[in-house]
Amino acid sequence: MAETTTAGVSTTASDSRPIAARTTDAVKEYGKGDAMVRALDGITVAFGKGQFSAIMGPSGSGKSTLLHCIAGLDRLTSGSVHIGDIELGSLNDRQLTMLRRERVGFIFQSFNLVPTLSALDNIVLPLTIAGRKPDPAALAEVVRITGLGDRLKHRPNQLSGGQQQRVAAARALASQPEIIFADEPTGNLDSSASTDLLDFLRHAVSALGQTILMVTHDPLAAAHADRVVFLADGRVVSEMLGPTADTVLDVMRHLGD
Amino acid sequence: MIGVSLRSLLSHKLRLALTTIAVILGVSFVAGTFILTDTINSTFMSIFATANAGVAVTVHGHPIAGTSGGIGGGANHPVPTSLLTTVRAVPGVKDAVGNIFREGATLIGHNGKPIGGNGPPTFGANWITDSDISPYHLRSGTPPEGPNDVVVDAGTAAKNGLVVGGSLPIVFLGGVEEHFTITGIAGYGSSDNLAGATIALFTEATAERVLDGQNKYDSILVSAQSGVTDVVLRERIAMALPSYAEAETGQQAAAAAEQSTESTISTFIGTPLLVFAFISLFVGSFLIINTFNILVAQRTRELALLRALGATRAQVMTSVLVEAAVTGFVASMLGFGVGILIARALLSVFGSTATTGITLLPRTFIVAVLVGTIVTVIAATLPARRATRIAPVAALSESLPETQDLPRRRIALGLVIFVLGCAALVAGLFTSNSVTLQLIGGGFLGVFLGVSLLAPLLVVPVATVIGWPVRRLRGAAGLLAGENARRNPRRTALTAAALMIGLALVTCVAVLTDSVRVSTNNAIEGTLRADFIVFTQGPDFDTQAAGALAKDPKLTDVTEVRVTPVLIRGSSESISAIDPSELGSVLTLSMVSGDASAIGTTNTAIVDSTEAGAAGVHMGQLVTFNFPQGATVRVRIGGIYTANALVSGYIVSIATMQPQVPTARDDVVLANAAPGVSSGQAEAALQHDVHAFPLLMAMSRSQYRTFVGAGLDSFLNLITTLLAFAIIIAVLGIANTLALSVLERTREIGVLRALGMTRSQTRSMVRWESVIISLLGAVLGLAVGLGLGVVVAGSLHDLGITNVAVPGGNLILYALAAGVFGVLAAIIPTIRAARVDILRAIATE
Repeated sequence: MAETTTAGVSTTASDSRPIAARTTDAVKEYGKGDAMVRALDGITVAFGKGQFSAIMGPSGSGKSTLLHCIAGLDRLTSGSVHIGDIELGSLNDRQLTMLRRERVGFIFQSFNLVPTLSALDNIVLPLTIAGRKPDPAALAEVVRITGLGDRLKHRPNQLSGGQQQRVAAARALASQPEIIFADEPTGNLDSSASTDLLDFLRHAVSALGQTILMVTHDPLAAAHADRVVFLADGRVVSEMLGPTADTVLDVMRHLGD
Repeated sequence: MIGVSLRSLLSHKLRLALTTIAVILGVSFVAGTFILTDTINSTFMSIFATANAGVAVTVHGHPIAGTSGGIGGGANHPVPTSLLTTVRAVPGVKDAVGNIFREGATLIGHNGKPIGGNGPPTFGANWITDSDISPYHLRSGTPPEGPNDVVVDAGTAAKNGLVVGGSLPIVFLGGVEEHFTITGIAGYGSSDNLAGATIALFTEATAERVLDGQNKYDSILVSAQSGVTDVVLRERIAMALPSYAEAETGQQAAAAAEQSTESTISTFIGTPLLVFAFISLFVGSFLIINTFNILVAQRTRELALLRALGATRAQVMTSVLVEAAVTGFVASMLGFGVGILIARALLSVFGSTATTGITLLPRTFIVAVLVGTIVTVIAATLPARRATRIAPVAALSESLPETQDLPRRRIALGLVIFVLGCAALVAGLFTSNSVTLQLIGGGFLGVFLGVSLLAPLLVVPVATVIGWPVRRLRGAAGLLAGENARRNPRRTALTAAALMIGLALVTCVAVLTDSVRVSTNNAIEGTLRADFIVFTQGPDFDTQAAGALAKDPKLTDVTEVRVTPVLIRGSSESISAIDPSELGSVLTLSMVSGDASAIGTTNTAIVDSTEAGAAGVHMGQLVTFNFPQGATVRVRIGGIYTANALVSGYIVSIATMQPQVPTARDDVVLANAAPGVSSGQAEAALQHDVHAFPLLMAMSRSQYRTFVGAGLDSFLNLITTLLAFAIIIAVLGIANTLALSVLERTREIGVLRALGMTRSQTRSMVRWESVIISLLGAVLGLAVGLGLGVVVAGSLHDLGITNVAVPGGNLILYALAAGVFGVLAAIIPTIRAARVDILRAIATE
């Protein structure tokens, strides 16, 4: 089933669907002189709209850095990042903030809910920050599919890890962003909670047409994606469409050697 | 372990910066007060020592009862000039001179106004020709020789542009104004001046005449022949003296003057300043507790790791306390340094004549450092105890426990302390005993501590109410600000409680002054019938004034009120005397029993109901007045009137007082506009008449009301200024709590920024949290202050504070000020919050 391509050849989405986000010759360097580390070494990659994409790679491969740079949390040393038609390099801090507010959703490994707010307040927080009213129908739908209906009044510390991460996922979905960035979303979850969350993300893509870009090191998680991009040493080394846990694991073993 | 706490101290030095500033402010206030009073004392000491340098023995009459104390000591009865011959005849006496030195020579400045106004004493004295004995040292010009010559002290001359050869009008007791020519300028001892008092020096003959001292000396100053010690000479003179006189050595005289001066300065300057200094330290201790609590919370994992590695509870406790002790010690040293600057600044404000710089006693340094260090260590004890309760397993656990609910024990403790405080306050205010002040002080302390302990219970409801409009106005930032203010009620409560104390004290004093203002206004409206009131700004009231006013056809009912001290059952009381036939036209006394006109009968008095109640005096009773001039008069109580803020004590007719105290002067003169004369015309005429008497001031009833109000306003301003230290410390406390909270919530702020919160929204969130904390402090402070003020004002009912008034305008002002404090306190924390690096914040695992 799985199609793999050889390193460095993947420059566009694998089919003709519109592009949600892309990088061109993305380079990110940390430090100077001898201590200089090149986290991203000329990455050109695109992610299609309505697609569930995963980025994989060993520790230090630059996968988190790539995600941060595409999401507008970090800036490239050279090259460019686009979300839709917008080139992020030309935006100032306020414009980047507005971009995150209007077009982007986040799911973090450690949930990062605001402890003082109820689950519901956390879900609508991005809308509250933007001064927008949530669309009641859309909100009800998000709440329904996360199965949090009876937990909305609870504070994060009264929820299990899996429930907290579903709140975080609902928070990302509630503002109906163009793209959701998920950074190791299952990293702090047990296997059953992980499966629940991944099924939920899968459903959001398949049923709601959401675009998701996920960084993970878990082949089981990657198997839920439509497409997996493999990084090593700051470069795209491989990619795969319709991945399964086994095929992903094969590639990872190969990269680990 | 000590090494660990020192390293921790260095790594947290920024976080401790504000704690350090709080300790510095408190300690500098304490040190500054000591340095100030020590310096003033030592200035006086050197004045008295040098002034008495050539005096072996001083001879004077016995002390006048009721005048003990004050700067330079109390007054003594004079001795007849003839005693000089007796003293000169004692073997071993080299020279003896008569000394006249008394109040009542008011110098009139170039502007026609009394020099010094109603402030420092105005002394007149005779020039002492024996320069070995004389405390006066001519700086320029010549001694007074003619009847119109005067020498003035160098300090007064320099301040008021008086020069040798110039003309100087001087007003003496009884309002007699005479013109003198300045022949010389002299110093007193080694200084320019006697602590700001004015001294006019005349020939002995002139001094006797103008200072009302016919054939009397205030003291006789004696020098000894060589080989005769002061002590021996004193004994010889004492043997020769009649029973009405006593002798002391020059050193004894200087020491007595010093001691009296020292205790006066301590009572009027030292003790009040120390009270405010300790209020500042008390408020500072709240900040210290909060800082160490937060530091301990942030270091939970580190401390747990130490415990897991084998550190005992005692070692953990010691590590926190050592950190506190080092912080307190360093801050105290710095506070001592700042105290020196404060003392210098205050001394220049007081216009001190200190020539020797400031006085630094080892005691000041020791007290400052001990107080600062001990307060810091005690305040850190609670956080240190909490640190010992951290279980080693906390080092390994993923998440830190959320703050638990307020323990019942703490609520109970808060209630008990609060109730005890209220009880002590009520006991102190409404009963009279020897520990009244201690009870009141302890009561305030108890109320503040109790409310601070209970305050966490109020944080959630109050923050919810205050937070509601903020949420409506500021959206997400407002919502989060409110939630953040409520998330750690103890921390918020302690931070707000520090502000509460300063605001409560200001509010309490505002309620008191407003109550006095309203009560006095009511008394002026209700009791004072006269259109005009005339009073003096000097030491005396011109005896000619009442006569002059009485002659003015535009005025009528010109009534003198005279006041003199008498001893009643051993305690000194002021009694007033008034013309019974005019009483009804200038005053309206509401009588409890009897009639005010009863004083028309000689040796009959009326007394206010409070005094009557306190002394157990009833209608018809005979009360013995011991006049200091010697006479004893039994006076019958003919009426009891309701106490009020304007008139109090015993009132007799002038005919009753006059024979006993022929020298008694008017205290005030009351007058009405003559029939058919408009109040404007009458007032113009009055002002014209009074212009001839430079010491007098005339006012209409409404002007008088404003005048009294202005005095109260300046009192309130003084108290507010003194409490500013405590309030500044509390505002620092808010800044400190916020800065540490921002640090704690770095990750959360990073997430909010990632979710689209702008920098300005982030700033707004922190700023509004600060405002909510401040307003919480204001709500608590105003409520507690209002309660305290009402209780204290209510307890003064017997002193004529008949109305308890709430100054609404002031309260609104204080609440607004608290909001502004919140914004100010947030300045640095908002900057830090806005600078949070999103990536690093959310990457912090």
